[in-house]
Amino acid sequence: MILCDTDRKILHRLQSNLPLVSRPFLELSKELNIDEDTIIERIKFMIEKGYVRRLAPIINTQAMGREATLAAIKVPEDRIDEVSAIINSYSGVSHNYLRKGKNCNIQYNMWFTMSAKDDEELHSRLKEIEDRTGLTVRSMPTTKKFKIGVRFKIY
Amino acid sequence: MTNKKEDIDVKLIKHIQEGLPVTKTPYKDIGQALGMSEDEVIQRLKKLLESGKIRRLAASIAHRKIGINANAMCVWKVPKERVDEVGKIMASFEEVTHCYERPTYPDWQHNVFTMIHGYTDAECEAVIQAIKEKTGLTDYVILYSEKEFKKVGVRI
Repeated sequence: MILCDTDRKILHRLQSNLPLVSRPFLELSKELNIDEDTIIERIKFMIEKGYVRRLAPIINTQAMGREATLAAIKVPEDRIDEVSAIINSYSGVSHNYLRKGKNCNIQYNMWFTMSAKDDEELHSRLKEIEDRTGLTVRSMPTTKKFKIGVRFKIY
Repeated sequence: MTNKKEDIDVKLIKHIQEGLPVTKTPYKDIGQALGMSEDEVIQRLKKLLESGKIRRLAASIAHRKIGINANAMCVWKVPKERVDEVGKIMASFEEVTHCYERPTYPDWQHNVFTMIHGYTDAECEAVIQAIKEKTGLTDYVILYSEKEFKKVGVRI
């Protein structure tokens, strides 16, 4: 971990909206009491080193008219690499994790999120994954949202 | 009319979804690349944020790289009539980054999903313990990620 306090301050602030003004980093420099050139340089550094994946719009798939779901599959131990490669090959898949129950054994071990331009496309892709893997895909689309907003506490 | 407006918004989002220019005047630079004024870029982004099409114009951080290594998906079996009440309590925890209700299946009975991020598993589990105490719920499973096969932001 090579982030200094200045980087942490910038990183913390950058998780909220970038000001929509002509000189957004100048605006941040006033808020954070760090000069504009330093802010720009440190953000570039953090992007280059991979601490910041990207400084970009975080898209609301549903509001953009896209459909999305969280799907789960029970994948046999010896087929994990093969099945994950099939799932990852879809551009609509944004997350794919192997998960294990800690306090209870559960059979659903592969969890991925997929979006598509509409319901029809989403379902046909999930069906395609079932056909290609021979495994049942359980689709669990959100029925109610209580919170979405990944902002991390930066110590 | 509407379609044309959306097309320009889509063009704008596609242009910046991999990252805004990190320059003194990013909106002006985007405008130059797309043939629109700085003000138009700013106004369009404002409207996209107001309408919720863009959740945030912000940094996506590589949380593992900065030491936030624990990522627990805790799923809860919540009686239908308590989902609203319980969902709000769960969402009130800072470490709970996502909280959703989802459908059940004969072999999957947990209907409320919480994503909890922390620096350690113990930190995540302390939050789970606090949720248990505040809600009285007892049927839950903690699913830790063993392996990340893919993680990219949503693109259009």
